[in-house]
Amino acid sequence: MALLKPFSKLPGLNTAIILLVENEEKLQLRLGDALLKETSVVVNVRLAKSLPLPVNERRPRIDLVVFIINLTSEPSFQSAEASLKYLDPGYFLGKVCFMVTKARNASVPTRRLDAVRMLAASLHCPLLFAEDQTPEGVFGAADRLLTILKGAAGLVPFTTPLYLSHLTRCTLPPDVDQPSFD
Amino acid sequence: MAASSDSSESDQLRPSDQSVSCRSGNRSMRVAENERRKKAEEPFVLALKYFSDVQTGTPVTGNDEFEKNLVLVERVAYSNGLSPEAISIMLEFAMSLRMGSSPCVRVLKCLLPSSVVPQEAVVRGVVWLNVGKMPITTQVLFLKWVLTVFDMIDAKDQLRAVYGFIFSFITEENLCPFVCHLLYLLTRKESVRAFRVRKLMDLQSKLGRQPFLLHLLSLYKVFSPELVALSVPSRVKSGFKNHNSPWKVALAAVQRRNGAQIASAISLALPVGDRTSSRKRKHGHLQIPVLTSVTNKQPHTEQNSRKKLIPLVQIQSFDQLLKTMHQIELPAQMGSLLGSGLALQYLDCVQEESALLRLNFWLGCALQEEFLFGSDDDAAHIPEETLQFLDKLLSAQHFLQEGFSSSDAFLYKFLNVWDGSLMRPQILGLLSNIPVIPALHLGKLLFEPLTQLFFTSSLFFKCGLMECLNSMLVKWLTWHSVYALEDDLDISLGSHTSVNMTLSGFKDSVMELVHFVGRLASVGLQLEGCHTLLLSFVLDFYGTVCDTFLKFGLPLVVMPPAGVFYPAFFAADPISLDRLAHIMHRYRVNLTSAKNQEKATEAFHISRQTFQEFNHYLVFMVNCLWNSRMFKPGMDVRLSEELLQKSNVPQYWTRFDLIHHPALMSYAFDFHQKCWPGRKEMDLNSIKHLKPWSWYLQYLFNQGFDGLKDFFQSNINQQLTVDDGQGDSQQR
Repeated sequence: MALLKPFSKLPGLNTAIILLVENEEKLQLRLGDALLKETSVVVNVRLAKSLPLPVNERRPRIDLVVFIINLTSEPSFQSAEASLKYLDPGYFLGKVCFMVTKARNASVPTRRLDAVRMLAASLHCPLLFAEDQTPEGVFGAADRLLTILKGAAGLVPFTTPLYLSHLTRCTLPPDVDQPSFD
Repeated sequence: MAASSDSSESDQLRPSDQSVSCRSGNRSMRVAENERRKKAEEPFVLALKYFSDVQTGTPVTGNDEFEKNLVLVERVAYSNGLSPEAISIMLEFAMSLRMGSSPCVRVLKCLLPSSVVPQEAVVRGVVWLNVGKMPITTQVLFLKWVLTVFDMIDAKDQLRAVYGFIFSFITEENLCPFVCHLLYLLTRKESVRAFRVRKLMDLQSKLGRQPFLLHLLSLYKVFSPELVALSVPSRVKSGFKNHNSPWKVALAAVQRRNGAQIASAISLALPVGDRTSSRKRKHGHLQIPVLTSVTNKQPHTEQNSRKKLIPLVQIQSFDQLLKTMHQIELPAQMGSLLGSGLALQYLDCVQEESALLRLNFWLGCALQEEFLFGSDDDAAHIPEETLQFLDKLLSAQHFLQEGFSSSDAFLYKFLNVWDGSLMRPQILGLLSNIPVIPALHLGKLLFEPLTQLFFTSSLFFKCGLMECLNSMLVKWLTWHSVYALEDDLDISLGSHTSVNMTLSGFKDSVMELVHFVGRLASVGLQLEGCHTLLLSFVLDFYGTVCDTFLKFGLPLVVMPPAGVFYPAFFAADPISLDRLAHIMHRYRVNLTSAKNQEKATEAFHISRQTFQEFNHYLVFMVNCLWNSRMFKPGMDVRLSEELLQKSNVPQYWTRFDLIHHPALMSYAFDFHQKCWPGRKEMDLNSIKHLKPWSWYLQYLFNQGFDGLKDFFQSNINQQLTVDDGQGDSQQR
């Protein structure tokens, strides 16, 4: 039940390690496959259903933790929320991101989307939306994760994960529907 | 009624079929099939007969005959849809509650028209509503059905004639949203009366600011502004959410199955041969409806309209449109305007606000309900339909040269859930059509979602967004140059959007946008290692920015941030350097002309700081390229003498002059070889002598570096040896 720590181990040369946490295990495998297509750096993908991870001394240092939340299911959100406390605070300096699927679905209660947004905004993490229905959507999502991953693993010159997360972190959107808005 | 018409149809068919079958044996097969089909239809005809003749008070429970017949009708309805006559019979049966209200609901649910819905049936249904023994939920169901099939009702004149009657249902609280929607679709100028407005206002004070009331009131206000003294917010929460999606899905399925028949039925209904209806129709939620008319069969029955109205669909040419401009009747389904060039011409010329209001309303619903929050099942086949739809929308917007407010509102929402790749070209295209937003709202509506997308996406998205923001800026500036009023420099933006903006407000918005792009570009270039492609799009943007004063008449000049200027200057490719030089040249021309005009008219003021920034960059560029004095005190690029000595770079101060700049060095080599072909040793410094230097310049300018040419011609004043850059950039 140990905390996952971002800086307890040395990084590998030209290597980035990403951990995909998804309760439903629907998207993570396809996403992992798409991530592995990257050739410019060595990408190492690890999958988990939830945190905490079992104790394993040989686990390399993880550069980015991605929580995948299916907006149509409440357990998916609750599991991600519960997993958060098994992360070392150091992760929240640019090494955590949330990825939401099915946000355009009619059956999504708006309050759940707001709750996810609040969560991401309060933790200063980026919130990505993914179209998991189509292969192009999965590929696009993997592409964006790689952009963040390279930054988080320190592979982009002149930038740090913290700097990047300052630019990409989630903010609360305005209520466009408000009648006062003119 | 149905039975007779059906049999007469088959009677007409039979002789011709028989005569054909004499000629070819193959045809006799078809006759046999026809016979078989006719036999299959017969029970259905009998079933309809049962429903038209059934006595009041016949029990439902345990009535096998009833059950059998209804199942039969349901099967036909879900597979092929019901003919107009069948609709009439079944609707009459249901609404009269001859067998109580439980079969009524079941019948209503299966009322899927195969072609059109007869108006008389709907009017009779409305009349039955008033009999009073119908449960309220069933009444709501009926109204929902009418709204769902509204566009398939063959004419609307009789429905309009009972406008007042329908209006009276508005007091019923549960029916009110649906009645409002129906009225919204039926309302014309003649329908707007003071007493109706009063009633609606009463209701509003009772029920609160309900979106459905607001929508109807806003339409009333468009028709008769003098009657409605109410400030309607420009963006009302999307109002009527009454369409029943299972119905729509079933309807779409029925239509898909017998698409050909419908198309032919429509072309029959319209004697005017129009291309649009004979074209193969795409069936889906997001299709653009075919332009059909709601022709009034008997125009004289309308007491209120004094002039004859001509449906838009009957207009064939632009000439005809001009002649009949004031008698045009809009189609029932406003979305069909998007697909027709003439209809768009009409929208553009007439600037009729009610037409735009209705179009916006339809568009808002279509985008919001079907696209933004679509159902999950048809996710697989959404893209193609949606692409076509959005392309149509885009081309309509390009034609009108402005966006629709509902698509803007949709975009503001959509950007917050966009993954950055779904239909990227279309979304970015729509985004670039967004009208000027007050600076106050820019950040929340656009900049925050775009920042998050920009920095988490690939290089190509970054380039795409840069291009989109550039074209957005160009459109804003063009609007300004078209709509700016001469006298007070105030502008009213867009003839259709009622956004009025002061010049300073507009300037603030433009400035916000330019600064925002500056921030994106600086950090983006840094993250992408000053990628040449991204740099090129950034320079495109500044190519627009540097000309705001002369090209668009906006007294505003914004300099690029250091994060853009220096990467462009130090770029290893000559194109970027040349474009930067061109941009600096245009800045100079704009600033000089603004300064002169400012002195003459004193109508505006360009800030001192802008001139300082410009001079700063200019001095740096001239010092580096021309004077070979790169590290002067006071410049942005500062390195200590000691460090430079240690670096062992020979003549480090010349490294970015016209000869040694990494982007131009290959040209210097080439020139050297051409100038002194016999020389064994390359000595680039020998180009610096008076004569070779002017030849070298000539050589460079002949390579197509017009930007550099303009830059040096305007900044160097033909003095070949200049001591100090400051002498050349004294203007302020």
